[in-house]
Amino acid sequence: MSATTTAVSPDSRALWRGGRGPLLGVVVVLVAGVLLAVLRSGDGGALRHDSPTPAGALALTTLLAEEGIRTTPVGTAAEAGRALGPDTTLLVAFPNAVPPSRLTDLRREAARADARLVLVSPGEGAVHRIAPGVELAGEAEVDERQPGCADPTARRAGGATLGGRVFDLSAVEGAAACYGQGSLGTLAVLGATDGTDGTRAATVLLGSPEFLTNDALADDGNAALAMGLLGATEKLLWYVPDGSEPPPEQDEQSLLDLTGDNWRWAAGQLVVAVLFAAVWRMRRLGPAVPERLPVRIRAAETTEGRARLYHRAGARGRAADALRESTRARLAPLVGVRPSAPVSELVRAVGDRTGRPSAEVEALLAGPEPADDPALIALADDLDTLREHVAQLPGAGARPSPAPPSQPPADPGRPPAPPKKDTP
Amino acid sequence: MALSGRAALVAALGAVVAWLVPGWQGIALVTVPLLLVVLLDVALAAPVRSLRLQRSGATTVRQGDEAHVDLTITNPSNRSLRAEVRDAWPPSSWAPGTSYDGSRQSLTVPPGERRRLTTVLAPTRRGERRAEVVAIRSHGPLGFAARQGRHRVPWSVQVLPPFAARKHLPAKLARLRELDGRTSVLIRGEGTEFDSLRPYVAGDDVRSIDWRATARQSEVTIRTWRPERDRHLLLVLDTGRTAAGRVGDVPRLDASMDAALLLTALASRAGDRVDLVAHDRTTRVSVQGHSGRDVLPAVTRALTPLEPRLVETDPRSLVAAALAAAPRRSLVVLFTSLDSGVLEEGLLPVLPRLVQRHTVVVASVADPGIEEMTAGRGTVTAVYGAAAAARLTAERHRAAELLRRLGVTVVDAAPDRLPPSLADAYLSLKAAGKL
Repeated sequence: MSATTTAVSPDSRALWRGGRGPLLGVVVVLVAGVLLAVLRSGDGGALRHDSPTPAGALALTTLLAEEGIRTTPVGTAAEAGRALGPDTTLLVAFPNAVPPSRLTDLRREAARADARLVLVSPGEGAVHRIAPGVELAGEAEVDERQPGCADPTARRAGGATLGGRVFDLSAVEGAAACYGQGSLGTLAVLGATDGTDGTRAATVLLGSPEFLTNDALADDGNAALAMGLLGATEKLLWYVPDGSEPPPEQDEQSLLDLTGDNWRWAAGQLVVAVLFAAVWRMRRLGPAVPERLPVRIRAAETTEGRARLYHRAGARGRAADALRESTRARLAPLVGVRPSAPVSELVRAVGDRTGRPSAEVEALLAGPEPADDPALIALADDLDTLREHVAQLPGAGARPSPAPPSQPPADPGRPPAPPKKDTP
Repeated sequence: MALSGRAALVAALGAVVAWLVPGWQGIALVTVPLLLVVLLDVALAAPVRSLRLQRSGATTVRQGDEAHVDLTITNPSNRSLRAEVRDAWPPSSWAPGTSYDGSRQSLTVPPGERRRLTTVLAPTRRGERRAEVVAIRSHGPLGFAARQGRHRVPWSVQVLPPFAARKHLPAKLARLRELDGRTSVLIRGEGTEFDSLRPYVAGDDVRSIDWRATARQSEVTIRTWRPERDRHLLLVLDTGRTAAGRVGDVPRLDASMDAALLLTALASRAGDRVDLVAHDRTTRVSVQGHSGRDVLPAVTRALTPLEPRLVETDPRSLVAAALAAAPRRSLVVLFTSLDSGVLEEGLLPVLPRLVQRHTVVVASVADPGIEEMTAGRGTVTAVYGAAAAARLTAERHRAAELLRRLGVTVVDAAPDRLPPSLADAYLSLKAAGKL
């Protein structure tokens, strides 16, 4: 506006100038995020019956369709359970994504309907639900492997691309562990009681989905193995959990369910009011002003520290010395003794003035170290008593005494020579 | 921009509407009109940026007094300004507990007019206080929202030392006049100078008769004398770490300043020149060449921003600075600490150089807390404290004794007693002609 303006808060132009950089950054990040999400959306159609991506399984279902086997996609366990029937195979593409209780239900329904179950790379929880007794025994590299088992389907197919999870079937009767060693296999066929064609196998666990995919189906005996495992029945249910699984039912209702709609929306409006109040209260009137703080040291701190050191070290001797010295320095001018005079002179003078025995005065003024802390306290009191006694004597300090260095510090100090009154 | 409590209140009352009309439309029914009202209010509020602010008022204040700083706000817009104004100064500019209320004022400025508001500062510390910023919140006519902005209107207030010791000045000046009056009669000696010639009256000392003047005139004339004037005083303040220690709630340095100011006031009235040097490792402040009535203001101004520093004083350079500042014979008053370690190792070896050429006074602030500790009895802690305090006192006396042997006058007193004691020492030295 004018050159003399004193305003320092930014105007809208300055706000835009200062804010556009960060704003641009936020926009770039958002756009990049959306683009990435769009480009990489989904899982690339992994194991979907109608997906032509390398990880999909369209090739397999096409082959099966040529053989006259219908593939029916299902999205939830409930749907799968309803569709189960005799002469049906249910492929569970991602058993770990299915709630465990649903797996138990599926197994029960499969047994009732005499249907086959094929689980792709099941985790520990899923294995225990579907095939009790089978244990997971670690991971193996996905590679071309030989069947090495009695299962006819596997034997017919020969080498196949398998690996992934390794199942330990040593505790299960009548099970075939293929594409592994001994009772460890990356393909487990359970309940294959019919040794001749193996079509009645109840449950199949696959360590890896690799050989089902479009990418690997043409290799080795992959196609034969897949056809053998999934094409043994008229109908194939292809269960890929679509995330719309209803949660397990609960009987309880939360408080929110019980309150009416009106109250909830009123509460929502109160939340808006709280936001308004927050904006109202958070805006302060100008910035906080800093203060350049002064140094704060108490001058007596070192002396207090010294006192604590004496106390901690139990330096009674030093403490008693200091107290005695202080008392001696105060007594000397009172009884007319030079401050620099030996202690014995002071003791004699004090004894003479007070009439106390010399030995007692000497013990007080130059005695041994007090034995314990109570003795030190008593010594301090006795010294006080002695000083007061001397100070109350008639004529105390009347004798000319040299300038006492021991007067209280409030003494203004005196010039080296008193003012001269006159001159000759 | 800023919201008011009214907007939040209306939003809260809107809960009734949201209850009656459940759903998003209920919330929108309340919030959208409310936001529109807020925007309208902001649009109608007087602009803050275009306000013109000017300051006037006090630029110096003695610590403990009040300073009135005026702020004139001109509203050039055609809308009435209903504003809340915060004049932000550092916290120590306000009397304790009033920094919030004291800085905030409300005022209304009609379009095209101006209003003045007065900020009352009561600084609690010495030094310079600068106005930080003026924040203005301009409320809209509906009271729902406000515009807010800041203006920087520079102003500074020098907070001078409190000079509490000035209460001693009349008494000391009276003593000075007494000194003057007494000695201006006939007493001649060291430290006096020729004052005037006047006719002899009966009772005058015959030794004072100036025969030469008597011969020139027709009557017997005698000389009168008065204390010497135009002496030189150099005040040296040690601003090292020992000056930072607090006695009571005041740093030693501030107590020394009080005494220095009293001495300056007294000496300038007595016709002596006063210079000042503050030194720790380097010379922090130097006041030289002022005379008469200028001295006290100059010294006060120089001392105002001075703060002790947490460094060990270099006594060698301190003495060198004092010698450089006092080319002819002077009374050097050294404000330092009598703590024995500092004194014996540092100052004592170099002090003789100063004593050779000048009369030296060492002024030291004693701690009354130490005396209280010395009297402590009854508990183990108290007695150990008394012992430590007694030892410190003995050390101080020993140090003072060493200084006295060098010919130095030692003034060691509690903060409230130091200024008069030092003034007494000065007057005694002056009377004794030691300057």
